Amino acid sequence: MKQLFVFVLSLYTSLTWAVLEVTILKQDEDAFPIVISDFSIIGDASQGKEIAHIMRDNFNRSGEFNASSANYVISNEPNFDKWKAKKIEAIVIGKLEKISKKVFNVEIELLDVYSKKTLYKDKFAVHNSGIRRIAHYLSDQIYHALLGEKGSFDTRLAYITVTNNDKGEREYSLEISDSDAQNPQTILKSKEPVLSPAWSPDQNRIAYVSFRNARSEVFIQYPFVRRKTQKLPYFDGIASAPSWHPNGKSLLLTLSKNGNKDIYSYQLTSKKLTRLTTDVGIDTEASYSPEGDKIVFTSNRSGQVQVYIKDLKTNKINKATFKGRYNAKAVFSPDGKSLAMVHREGKDYRIALLDIATKDLIIMTNNQLDESPFFSPNGGMIIFATNKGGSGVLSVVSILGRQTFELVSKVGEVREPNWSHYLKK
Amino acid sequence: MLKIISLTTIVLLSSCSSMDSLYKKVLPKPSVVIIEDRIENTQENVIEADQSSFQSQRLSKNDVNTPNIAKLVVVEDFRNTGVSFVLYFPYDGTEIDETSTKQIIKHANFMRNNTTLNLRLEGHADERGTREYNLALGENRALSVKEILGLYDLSSRVEVISFGEEKPTLQKHDEDAWQKNRRVEFVYQ
Repeated sequence: MKQLFVFVLSLYTSLTWAVLEVTILKQDEDAFPIVISDFSIIGDASQGKEIAHIMRDNFNRSGEFNASSANYVISNEPNFDKWKAKKIEAIVIGKLEKISKKVFNVEIELLDVYSKKTLYKDKFAVHNSGIRRIAHYLSDQIYHALLGEKGSFDTRLAYITVTNNDKGEREYSLEISDSDAQNPQTILKSKEPVLSPAWSPDQNRIAYVSFRNARSEVFIQYPFVRRKTQKLPYFDGIASAPSWHPNGKSLLLTLSKNGNKDIYSYQLTSKKLTRLTTDVGIDTEASYSPEGDKIVFTSNRSGQVQVYIKDLKTNKINKATFKGRYNAKAVFSPDGKSLAMVHREGKDYRIALLDIATKDLIIMTNNQLDESPFFSPNGGMIIFATNKGGSGVLSVVSILGRQTFELVSKVGEVREPNWSHYLKK
Repeated sequence: MLKIISLTTIVLLSSCSSMDSLYKKVLPKPSVVIIEDRIENTQENVIEADQSSFQSQRLSKNDVNTPNIAKLVVVEDFRNTGVSFVLYFPYDGTEIDETSTKQIIKHANFMRNNTTLNLRLEGHADERGTREYNLALGENRALSVKEILGLYDLSSRVEVISFGEEKPTLQKHDEDAWQKNRRVEFVYQ
């Protein structure tokens, strides 16, 4: 079984911004102890260390694992008793072989220390430009082999950074990076605010809001195609809060027609606009359920800011939040059973997780100004923006309630994270 | 050479319900605006201001006869009367209190006396809560100011935009900053 991964990441952007600094906040003592050995190398293939390094960082960031290296390259026959004495439960070993100028063979094996059995084994041919991708892909495979569910490693992030340039002006940029914040690329820079980036389900497009024309408008950027930007038609009133249908063919938008802010769906090919809410209050921040049969949105129709779900088959709208006086910007979990949202607790704005069926609400964070929650594609983590020391940072909390890591920009604020689906092979 | 422009009295909408009395109190008088007189005044101001005020430095002699500068001068004179160009709002609120209403009425009278001016109302929110909701909230704040101006038949000259929480006056994270950031700004064009 041999697959060829050819990932040619040809990002046509001239500007590359600073890499976000990743800080792991808490290492759980019960985290699964795993050794990921540097890969053995055949030929001129220095990337062997890089793959194992990326994988160890991935596992440590997940909060579920305590991944370490072995100080030496473990060969085909690990000394299981020695690792057992060190309370290591699983070992990953690998081999990287250069087979042509730009193509490598990658072999990987996951071994259980107690049973001495192979839990996962595979072999791939990889183009030089796909080394980072294969490290993330293999992390997902091993995560699955050990925990029975997918990881969220072979994915990308989009986020907004805000910096002050030499003239003291604020500069907004739309950035994308790999799930580990590495490989950052600047997609767009503007002196006017940019907000609400949203990856399309096919990961080829990012919808966002820009004030470049002195009013809020929605654009679609093709980050992997040079200078390709699509502006949605001029709507009567401001447009904001874009969010994709799971089929990638339409967007939910908030349009303010005659000042009344309602949710609309906009079909990209037919250009058909369908109004989904009609209340005189503010309706905004809509997003689809994973099946596309429901939308969740924020509304102040009751006099308070609360979250509502509209069933698109029955057209019924039901209130989803009952605890607290402010709940907003909810998103469905990938299994469609929960919502992550911003919840006001006293004077603080925190991330909360709501079980839709039981209405149980769990406060996930302990900060003052959290916003923009978004699920990792496996549903195991929520990324959100918060404020630390007066500056915006991104933070990730696992569903089990551990705030696991933080993404901090050394040169400014970072905000509004959006997590892509799994990348295509 | 003075050119005198008379503005006809505009009769206010007679059906403005509960706020009737408040509006009647400040019914604008039929006014006479002497535009070029103001320009001449400004030329004097420019000479003075060149040494001191940044605001007036933009009014260089070459520009002084252009209509835009005339507008700017009129607006600056109006600003110097002490009227508020920024109105503040309660948390998550769009309500306009009596003090703010009085300020808005001053703007309404000013606009009716200066028919070439248009107004952009820029709505803002504090950083608390979500960005997109705040974008909507900022627009609603600007719209509630526009609503009052609409009673003076000025709607067609008033444009509303919202920056939500994106352009705070104060970039701090405390009650004082939040209070100053929940606002609507008057920008004449």
